[in-house]
Amino acid sequence: MEILIKAVYILIFPGLLFATVFGLWLAGIDRKLLARMQKRVGPPVLQPTYDFFKLLGKETIIPANAAKVTFLAAPYVGLISLVVTALFIPIGGLQAFGGMADTVVILYLMAIPSLAIIFGGSASGSPFAGVGVSRSMVSIMSYELPLILVLLAVGRAAAYGGYTTFSLEQITVIQQLTGPFLLDWRLIPAAVAMLLVIPCEVGAHPFDVGEAETEICEGPLVEYSGAPLAVFKLSHCIKMFIMTALFTALFLGGVTTGMLWLDVIIALVFCTIVTVVSMTLTHAVMARFRVEQLFKFFWTVVSGLALVSLILVWYV
Amino acid sequence: MTYDVYMHFPVLAIMALFVGAFLVTLSGKREVLRNIIAGAAVLIALTLLALLIKPVMVDGEIITYWMGNWEPVNGYAIGIALEVDALSLFFGLLVAIAVACSCFYSFQYIRQDDARGGYFTLYLMLAGGVMGIVLSGDLFNIYVMLEVMTFAAVGLTAFRTWNPNAREAAFKYLVVGSIGSSCVLLGTALVYAQCHTLNLAQISALIPGRMNPTMVLAFALLFTGFGCKSFMFPFHPIAADAHGAAPSSVSVLISGVFTKTGVYGIIRVSYFLFRSMGLTSMQTGLVFIGCVSMFVCVTMALNQHDFKRLLAFHSISQIGYILTSLGLCTALGIAGGLYHAINHTLFKGLLFLTAGAVLYATGTTYLEKLGGLARKMPQTAALFLIGAFSISGIPPFNGFYSKWMIYQATFEKASETGSIGYALVTVVCVVTSVLTLASFIKVGQSVFFGQMPLEYENVKETPLSMRIPMWIMAALCVFTGVAPNIMINYVIGPATGAVLNFPGYIDAAMGEGYAAATITDTGYLAEPRLLTIGAWNPVNWLLLFVVVLAAVFLVSILGKRDRGEVNCAPDSKHAVFFGGEESQYSHVASGDLFWGFKHNLRGYLGFMSKAHSGVTNDYVLWGVTALAVIILYCFAFM
Repeated sequence: MEILIKAVYILIFPGLLFATVFGLWLAGIDRKLLARMQKRVGPPVLQPTYDFFKLLGKETIIPANAAKVTFLAAPYVGLISLVVTALFIPIGGLQAFGGMADTVVILYLMAIPSLAIIFGGSASGSPFAGVGVSRSMVSIMSYELPLILVLLAVGRAAAYGGYTTFSLEQITVIQQLTGPFLLDWRLIPAAVAMLLVIPCEVGAHPFDVGEAETEICEGPLVEYSGAPLAVFKLSHCIKMFIMTALFTALFLGGVTTGMLWLDVIIALVFCTIVTVVSMTLTHAVMARFRVEQLFKFFWTVVSGLALVSLILVWYV
Repeated sequence: MTYDVYMHFPVLAIMALFVGAFLVTLSGKREVLRNIIAGAAVLIALTLLALLIKPVMVDGEIITYWMGNWEPVNGYAIGIALEVDALSLFFGLLVAIAVACSCFYSFQYIRQDDARGGYFTLYLMLAGGVMGIVLSGDLFNIYVMLEVMTFAAVGLTAFRTWNPNAREAAFKYLVVGSIGSSCVLLGTALVYAQCHTLNLAQISALIPGRMNPTMVLAFALLFTGFGCKSFMFPFHPIAADAHGAAPSSVSVLISGVFTKTGVYGIIRVSYFLFRSMGLTSMQTGLVFIGCVSMFVCVTMALNQHDFKRLLAFHSISQIGYILTSLGLCTALGIAGGLYHAINHTLFKGLLFLTAGAVLYATGTTYLEKLGGLARKMPQTAALFLIGAFSISGIPPFNGFYSKWMIYQATFEKASETGSIGYALVTVVCVVTSVLTLASFIKVGQSVFFGQMPLEYENVKETPLSMRIPMWIMAALCVFTGVAPNIMINYVIGPATGAVLNFPGYIDAAMGEGYAAATITDTGYLAEPRLLTIGAWNPVNWLLLFVVVLAAVFLVSILGKRDRGEVNCAPDSKHAVFFGGEESQYSHVASGDLFWGFKHNLRGYLGFMSKAHSGVTNDYVLWGVTALAVIILYCFAFM
């Protein structure tokens, strides 16, 4: 029985199947709403799903210059590590595998899919990918600084008995006692910083310098086709789900009605709202940053916001 | 085995290496015999130390061995002692593993060189010197071994005499290294003048009663001396030259092992002898030095164009982590630092060996000239990736676990002391880790991936005898990352306990009750307890990974009908996309990467590369300034 429940967690909810479906759905919502904001009709919500299945059926071309094994393995490693990460994030009080990974571990686990894209692209041997690799890495450097500051601020706010924490369970429990951290004025700058970190981490417009289609033909993905490309696209969608779920756990946790299924649904609604606010809105109103602007913006403005929160939480 | 038997093991381990060094010279030009002798020497040392794990690590015994049976008379330790507690054994094991792997690697690796007999003599002298330092219980003997080690290392740095860089690096090393050696010698002399003994245990017992300005000076000198040997900031530039110019198999020792003796010395001096780590000022000082080393060296590494110089800067950056963590003076901090020390030896050793493999196969380590080697050397590329992921702290490899412990230790320290400064130390650690990742992506892109220059069309994978030691190190990297519980229970935990257990160390040498009689204040730390504030379970992560992998595999098998074919014929369709034009050689190499980052920090990076002028005089000036500052700091705050 125990094993069966674990299997359900891993394979169906919130693991492989759900992460896939919900991620693709979020991507669809994102595209549809973006189109509406720009006064277009936009694609159907299921368009990313159609694209995914279409790509699966296409021929996979391996460039003659590529390091084959890395080129083909990278997308799958990225996808799988993402799905595993999804299991560690509490969704509305439901934690599939509690006590196995804390916030800092998730920060590092989220680097694996980005690395998969980087090394996959690098292995393709394309100069476009080379430029993309360089830019993707700069965007990783950009967001890690504000992200760790946000995590420390939240960890301090969730201190219990003088002990600061990295533990996601404790962050959830403390929020049940004090109310969601988003309502704590000291943490609002951190929340804003986190909302800006999400699109950069996901690689969404306007922070998608690494894959800028109009400049470097999707950078690391330029040589990918068929199933591996489909897997990368899927990873992108699942990342949206994980990052918004992480935001929900850090800042909107502890909203309970007493019924687990209702809590989960509320959390998923929050995820959708966060997606719209942090990704769709910024996409609609901003043009893409240049790569050095991106780095400067994140190390000054966004990190500054997060640092303000950390100082406030520390001393106020 | 009884105590009577294994008490001889430490001295035999040291002897094996030194005797090996002489026998190697006697073997003349007989290569096979020489290899057998060298291999046997390092294996004997490794085995003897491995046999000590049970009594020392698990049962917690402390082995004291008086050379020539000169035991203490009337409470004064006159004879020379070897004293092995869990901390010494920890460093000894780390040394033995790195020495063994690198020795087997170099059999093939130095085939292309002349003077191979001299190589193994110096190599074993270096190994023996390092082993002597970590197992010794006598301050002056530590100094002697330090000199043996330094001179062997200088000789090995200049081993490729046809290379002018190597000769220059050896000269710098000799000059700046002598600052460290003189500091240690002067510090030892002052301590001897005050305490009339050179035995570590007895000095440790006597110092609290004799703390006067002379002793403060002695502390500052010893600290700087060992700091110089660990290449901490601002002694780091010589490391870059020396690691870069020495043969890779020697760089493994200089970077992975030699620097650890400096760390070991700092632990012995500040936690054991003077027990100054209880002071907030000393903690702040060490953490500051650690953070500066960490950050400055990682940014310098991002600027490098040579594989091995880049690795050299990283090795100081990692030493920065270790010093920061040790400076926290909490059980978790010490454990994290020690864990990172062993991990650093493993992954940095692995990376230097892969750099050696690239040099062996292509004849260069210059990043701009290489590219696309993963197709010709797939195993070396895989090994490089394991090493790169380990050093950048990607779960589930070993670097992640120790860094994660360090983050927790610093953040915990922040909440204990209420000082936000330690939280910012956590931030510096994380940022350094990201920059480390960046510079290894640079190496990956410029050496193993991307496009391959035509001249490397005939490059071959390195021979098996070089790959086996690399695979062993890679396996250890994975093991220490995936099984942290075993490591903590059997290795790190006892070593951490030993760092704090100076009364036990004193009693083991001077007889039961000696510590209690001389020391009233029995310490600044209660029982070591490893309290973590987060959670990370690598085994379960791996299990979940495998399950999901199986599920994805199953899905892709079931959906086979839909799947398109995989194609990689060498025709124009499969050439790399080049904006619609005919493709040409266009490799994005190291100099082109991370422009967005470099552009924003150009002021800082420009200043830094100007400051690292390569002039020996400058570096000596830095070293002397550091010595002066440390002495002043100690007088002001100790």
